[in-house]
Amino acid sequence: MVGEDFVSMIPAAQSEIWYGEVNGQTKEVIAKSNSILLDVLRDKTGCLGVKRGCDMGTCGCCTVMIDGEPRLSCLTMAHDVSGSKITTVEGLSDGSHLAPIQQCFADHGGSQCGFCTPGFLIASQALLEKNPNPTEQQIACAIEGNLCRCTGYQQIVQSIQAAAAIHRGDAEAVASNNAAHADPHPSGPEI
Amino acid sequence: MSKDYVQQAGMNKDVRVDGKRVAGKMRFNPPGSGGSRPEMAERDMEFIPELEGGNEAQPAGGHFQDKYRTGTTVGKRTPLVDANAKVTGQAWYGDDVRLANELIGRIIRSPYHYARVKSVDTSEAEKLPGVIAVSTGVDAPSQFGVLPVTKDEHAMAVEKVRHVGDLVACVAAVDEETARHAARLIKIEYEVLDPVHDPKKGLLDVDEPIHWRGPYHIGSTNVQKRVFQEFGDRGSLEDTTQAFHNGKWKFMGVNHGFTEPHAVVAHWDPNGRLQLYTPQQVPHYAHRALSTVLEVPMHQINVIRTFVGGGFGGKSDPFPHEMCAAILARKAGRPVRITFDREEVFWVNRGRHPSHIEVKINANDEAKISGFEIDALIDGGGFASFGHVTSYYNGVLATAPYELGSFHYTGARVWTNKPASGAMRGHGAVNTRCAIEVGLDDIAEKLKVDPVDLRLANLLPPHSKTITGFRITSNGMRQALERVREGSNWSEKFRKLPLGKGIGIGCGFFISGSGLPIHWDPHNFPHATVHLQIDMDGGVTVHTGAADIGQGSSTAVAQVVAEVLALPLEMVHVRSHESDTSPVDLGSYSSRVTFMNANAAIGAALEIREKLLNAAGEILDVEPEKLVLNDRRIYVKRDPTIGVSYLDALHKSQEDIGALIASGAYRTPPMGGIHKGAAAGLAPAYSFSAYVAEVDVDVDTGQIKCTNVWAAHDCGKALNPLAVEGQIIGSCHMGLGQVLSEQMVYGRTGHLQNPNFLEYKIPSVHEMPNVTPIIIESCDPEGPFGAKEAGEGPLLPILPAVVNAVYDAIGVRINDLPLTPDKVWAAISKKMKKLKLDDPRDLPVPTLDFSELQKKLEERSNEHRLRDSRRQRMEDTGPYLNGVLFGLDPTLPPEEQDETWKISVKPDSSQLDNLGLAGSAWTKKEQRHMAGGK
Ligand code: FES
Ligand code: FES
Repeated sequence: MVGEDFVSMIPAAQSEIWYGEVNGQTKEVIAKSNSILLDVLRDKTGCLGVKRGCDMGTCGCCTVMIDGEPRLSCLTMAHDVSGSKITTVEGLSDGSHLAPIQQCFADHGGSQCGFCTPGFLIASQALLEKNPNPTEQQIACAIEGNLCRCTGYQQIVQSIQAAAAIHRGDAEAVASNNAAHADPHPSGPEI
Repeated sequence: MSKDYVQQAGMNKDVRVDGKRVAGKMRFNPPGSGGSRPEMAERDMEFIPELEGGNEAQPAGGHFQDKYRTGTTVGKRTPLVDANAKVTGQAWYGDDVRLANELIGRIIRSPYHYARVKSVDTSEAEKLPGVIAVSTGVDAPSQFGVLPVTKDEHAMAVEKVRHVGDLVACVAAVDEETARHAARLIKIEYEVLDPVHDPKKGLLDVDEPIHWRGPYHIGSTNVQKRVFQEFGDRGSLEDTTQAFHNGKWKFMGVNHGFTEPHAVVAHWDPNGRLQLYTPQQVPHYAHRALSTVLEVPMHQINVIRTFVGGGFGGKSDPFPHEMCAAILARKAGRPVRITFDREEVFWVNRGRHPSHIEVKINANDEAKISGFEIDALIDGGGFASFGHVTSYYNGVLATAPYELGSFHYTGARVWTNKPASGAMRGHGAVNTRCAIEVGLDDIAEKLKVDPVDLRLANLLPPHSKTITGFRITSNGMRQALERVREGSNWSEKFRKLPLGKGIGIGCGFFISGSGLPIHWDPHNFPHATVHLQIDMDGGVTVHTGAADIGQGSSTAVAQVVAEVLALPLEMVHVRSHESDTSPVDLGSYSSRVTFMNANAAIGAALEIREKLLNAAGEILDVEPEKLVLNDRRIYVKRDPTIGVSYLDALHKSQEDIGALIASGAYRTPPMGGIHKGAAAGLAPAYSFSAYVAEVDVDVDTGQIKCTNVWAAHDCGKALNPLAVEGQIIGSCHMGLGQVLSEQMVYGRTGHLQNPNFLEYKIPSVHEMPNVTPIIIESCDPEGPFGAKEAGEGPLLPILPAVVNAVYDAIGVRINDLPLTPDKVWAAISKKMKKLKLDDPRDLPVPTLDFSELQKKLEERSNEHRLRDSRRQRMEDTGPYLNGVLFGLDPTLPPEEQDETWKISVKPDSSQLDNLGLAGSAWTKKEQRHMAGGK
């Protein structure tokens, strides 16, 4: 960026049709053959929930699930994952039904400014799908590639633990999660 | 995702077995807000203060707003009101604003540290197909800056570039590729000038200072601001000196490291008004600066604050790229979006100042602190930014919470050819605080006393004045220290742990809102304004300009409104994004939002409350004073069955006027001294914190791991404990980064070597210690329901706590942050050489044998505990000034009782020779006082 001479390193690329199953929907878009997945998702498929924090694999904001694995979309060539199943933060909830991991991030302070949140959600969802009973160390390893500048991670880890309990079907956790969002002011019958 | 699910919101399934819930479904019975029900939710007595008959403990006494508490949300762990937008990816940050027909803007930046721009040739770029607009400095010659006194920035370079990355030109094109290509076609001719990188050199006269301030320029140096402050008497200290500490510190520059890079979208709408979308902490200052630079009246600009992906001070200046986007959009007649890459964020910087700080502390034979001397040379980089304020904060915020015999401060901020430093969480107070607290640790060691007791015996009480004349109201410092001492099991560990394990303490003190904000006219504007509006549906819309940057300000404001009106939080909607609809707010800085905006919101809510009570009184034919509000119902206190619903009362009060509208404002009380600079650091309240940190140091490698932190913070009253804890832990993380790993590294040629997160090391989850947040509630008499700030103050103590813990672990003090393994190892080897050791595992660890002073300190702090709790609870309301501990009369200002006491803001000629590094800036004269000055 800071430099005088323009050295074109990448020859002009061809456009091609990129397709994939993004959040359960088949998408077909026209993209340059050298596009990175992050750009395709944000600019072509409308998944603006995928965030760009650094563009070089250091912040984890751009994490998406590719065939069940959390990957950094800023370091992934779109072409290489053409045809894959991709889940972004938009695909976690069913319509307006929040997934447990989303609900727990909201309820336990796992999200402050929220910019890192989509990446954390995907990384932790991927962990929970494989291991609904993770230790603290396993949680830490799952989110070690994600940077959060606001929360200091502690409440994020707590959110993931709470969501894990729901994934395990821990009755109490499910109930308390629902209770947290039952009517805060239950009202008597109208007369 | 589970595919066996029928997407049909609310189909008899309020609760789903998999734990998901039906969003947007709340059982408000029709017609919406609770009719005239015979029963209602009981008041939640756990959250009604005990002095009002509830169960909420009030160890620090009552508050005048307690009677408006309804037990609805204040004090409860409340998820952020915008949390659902954030967890679903629907929160819209700067780069998520996509307008139809948008262009992509790109900025061309200087490759030189310091150069004159001789010519800019844009013709090639303009010819490139797809390029729609190109702009250079000539398009916007007006200067701006965040402080009205130091407007030294341009949208793009007008004459000179002042650091690598300084803006020179910008282009807008149909896509990013074209824009990047065009950027490279712009030909710029520079004449390279001699750069200054070392702040010490900034103090010297040069041929071509980075900025020129005319008659006010200090010599022909690069000194941007110099400060001298003296309270008390320097001479009288030396005889009573029992212990003396002298610490010379070096602090590296630190970047905010927010995750969202800057981004801006500008669009001139068909009526010719500018719509500017930007993640700003302080939209109002951007608004002002845009108006100046674009030469458009403010009412023709609508600044829309998007969600802000972290600010920490780094998004509070008006930025040149915001002007660039607006200029390009005006030229192109189409929306322009500019998004930074991470490297550009570092070029814009505004992070913590690299500093050279020298601290001297004296203590007398009773272990009273007879004086602080601070000399701070701070490296401002290429622009002034918040520099005036930072220069003061480095000194004046270091005095409290201690009672001092004297205080001397010299500070200087110099321009250098680096990206500008600015405001960052803990603005100006962090570095000196670290030096002071480590100094006190050293003093305690020399006096052979426990550093916690040393502090406890030298604290200012609640409702007192600091040596610089700041008015302290509530003060939970003592409880904070005692709680962390207890929690960490301090007495069992301090100076008793084996080599490589250590424990340390640090304290903090920070402003809760600045008493004299930047763009402010005390006669015309309040500090904060909030409008409330209730239409017939009963929902409350809160209009505030407070910028929610993730700290949860919208939540706090919604909470206090819900609390006063006894409405569910879901019925309160905060609108804070647009300057068109929001009242002017001075922004999210200096930890002012909770204190000022929540106070303003309470004011507005009280107005509505009164109208509702009057209406209900009219319907029920009882006096409004006899009514209570609770859960969408207003009823007679002694017989809850007699009442009306909130809606009925609302509709009654709307009969003649339509919507209920109220406006509340907050203004600080008059305060502060009259000396020059007296306003810097003034605040309506101050927060206090104390941390204990435990570290493991690997003596073979110098690697430090912080394992445990007990973090006590006095936030007055935790409106939302969940958010307060989040702020404490988050502050801990950020401070830990500065003390252990984060630094902006400028190489030998002055080039920034690590403008990315790969080499700029922010702690990951593995580096985080186990933090135990401890909330101290001292109930501030003027805070909203007693609240003070929690966003910045908690950052301060972690640095010294870790440095002190490292000393406890290996017996070596390192005054050069961050404590990277190489520095620690170098210090260890030096010590080994000195002691002629071969194995670092033979290093001696510091030990502690109490001297007889320890007893005295304990006695004194016990006495003071009593004094403090009486003052906190307003049982003792006598005046208390700094100096009482030294025998001064609390009712008279020191200068009237002690002729050696002086307050001075300028060195006299006899002092000029023995000033410190930064102080030497005073040896130069301003141009207007120089013979033949320019
Ligand atoms: S944007 Fe992909 S890791 Fe930062
Ligand atoms: S919540 Fe702001 S970066 Fe994580």
